Amino acid sequence: MTRHNRILLSCVYWAFVAYVFVPLILMVMMGFKDSKFIGFPIKSWTLDWYTGVFADTETLAAFGYSVAIAVLSTVISVIVGTWIAVLLEGRKFWGRAVIFGMTVLPALIPGIISAIAFRIYARYLGIEPGMGAIVWSHAVHNVPFVVLVVMARLSTLPKSQIEAARDLGADPLIAFLRITFPYLVPAIMGASIFCLLLSFDDFVRSFFLGGYEPTLPVLIFAKLKSGMSPEINAIATVALVLTAVIGVWAERFTRRMNKDS
Amino acid sequence: MSSDPLVRLEGVTKRFGDTVALDNLTLDIAQGEFVTFLGPSGCGKSTTLRILGGFEQPSSGRVLLRGDDVTKRPPEKRNVNMVFQDYALFPHMTVRQNIGFGLELKGMGKSEIARRQDEIMSFLELTAYGDRYPAQLSGGQRQRVALARALAPDPALLLLDEPLGALDAKLRGQVQQELKSIQRRTNKTFFFVTHDQEEALTMSDRIVVMNKGKVEQDGTPEELYFHPASRFVAEFIGETNLLTGELRGTDGNAVVMDWFGTTLRGHAPGGVPQAGESITASVRLERLGFHAERPATANAVQGRVVGKTFLGSRMALDLMVEEANGATLKAYVDADTGQSVGEAPVWIGWDESSMAVLRD
Repeated sequence: MTRHNRILLSCVYWAFVAYVFVPLILMVMMGFKDSKFIGFPIKSWTLDWYTGVFADTETLAAFGYSVAIAVLSTVISVIVGTWIAVLLEGRKFWGRAVIFGMTVLPALIPGIISAIAFRIYARYLGIEPGMGAIVWSHAVHNVPFVVLVVMARLSTLPKSQIEAARDLGADPLIAFLRITFPYLVPAIMGASIFCLLLSFDDFVRSFFLGGYEPTLPVLIFAKLKSGMSPEINAIATVALVLTAVIGVWAERFTRRMNKDS
Repeated sequence: MSSDPLVRLEGVTKRFGDTVALDNLTLDIAQGEFVTFLGPSGCGKSTTLRILGGFEQPSSGRVLLRGDDVTKRPPEKRNVNMVFQDYALFPHMTVRQNIGFGLELKGMGKSEIARRQDEIMSFLELTAYGDRYPAQLSGGQRQRVALARALAPDPALLLLDEPLGALDAKLRGQVQQELKSIQRRTNKTFFFVTHDQEEALTMSDRIVVMNKGKVEQDGTPEELYFHPASRFVAEFIGETNLLTGELRGTDGNAVVMDWFGTTLRGHAPGGVPQAGESITASVRLERLGFHAERPATANAVQGRVVGKTFLGSRMALDLMVEEANGATLKAYVDADTGQSVGEAPVWIGWDESSMAVLRD
């Protein structure tokens, strides 16, 4: 690589980094500004917005609501997704490609379309907007990610592992629980974290299928309508830090698990 | 029931689509035997092993274990264990847990499992590695753990699927000796599958040579080496001289053949071929003797040394036999004899029992 190219490449790289991080840094900074108006100059700093967030029952309730939805939808996605992955991987049967395609489809449909479709369908089934409907739509949307991640891991499990277990006296169910499942744990952990973050982050589905109680993104949206305030920056910063910490921890955890086996 | 052999295969055939992997195999294996199935890839040896393990069902035929029909029984319900080619150790379990897996599933009590684990680990010199994971072991150690895990539940039959393939040449020789001695000490029946003829000769009590789904020959290593029944066996096991000639007839147990005008006498382990046919006979390289005068052996020809290869402990000689239309023979001799043989023609002699007339 020539010197020119190297310089050009590093310029592009740092431009990209700035593009990603400058808005985030600004957002975080404004959360500490001691003034109701967002923008420079910042004359004095305060933690009031943060104390306000942690004292605001509405925000805390929305946060708890979002977490509950994320956990529930993740549990459903992981169970259903792992099940589908185990059924599809390494087997040949008529219609496998169709089933696989249909499984992956929800990940490809634009959020707004699937949200509207869910809304109509939920009404048709008589399901009230609210937590159940949101969990349902998040679970459906997240299943494909679980299926793909678990299938990829499953495809690297040597067939002889299962045969060895059977050989030593395990019936197919015990072989799955004692050999296949432990092998899949890193993939399932990774997929779970991804599902949690996807669900926590979702706005469109939660907005269309929600009842009176708002999830955190929906609440932030509602607050934005009444004007920008550093309070929103503080909420967003807390959410940002939480998701980043979980994401980094999960990444390291799955990498360690993968190395062990 | 005690007269039943340990394993009996009755007319076992296995088809995969249009290919016949195993063609009407009938075979008995006695308790305590070290049986090796030997052959090139695709000969049916691995299919036989997988049928015995319960991983494949025969298309037709029956598998009997101590007189019980186990043809349709799944692997977990057979008193048969297997050492896999890639060892298939469970990566998330320690050596001790790997060994305990089969014992636990047999429904043994905790203390009994621990006793058996200790026993088998000390037997295979694994005691120091009990708390290690497979990833922390060397190839040879993993191989021993795989063996320990398969032996722990005390199977009636142990299946070994080319378990030495992943080891380097030096370790291989050592493990061959070890395996043989473990088999002797445990008096277990070993069913070993390999494509390596040297390995088969070193370890087995009995070798079954397979080719294209059929048994080519079934016998002791010595029988197969010195008395091959077919050309396939003669060529697959060791090095040999193949002499092509015409069948003249039989004389008692001897088969008389014409080799470019020279009459040779051999024996026919694979049965006497039809008269007048073109036939092939096999003589091992070390069975050719050198003499200054015409020897009294059943077969004697004159030849000249046209090439010498020094091999350390012995020497390989290339001989041209003028009376046989310039055909060449190869012989192994000790280094001294090899040095002393000059340009002048020598007599080469071999016995009737050293020459096997082959079934094609």
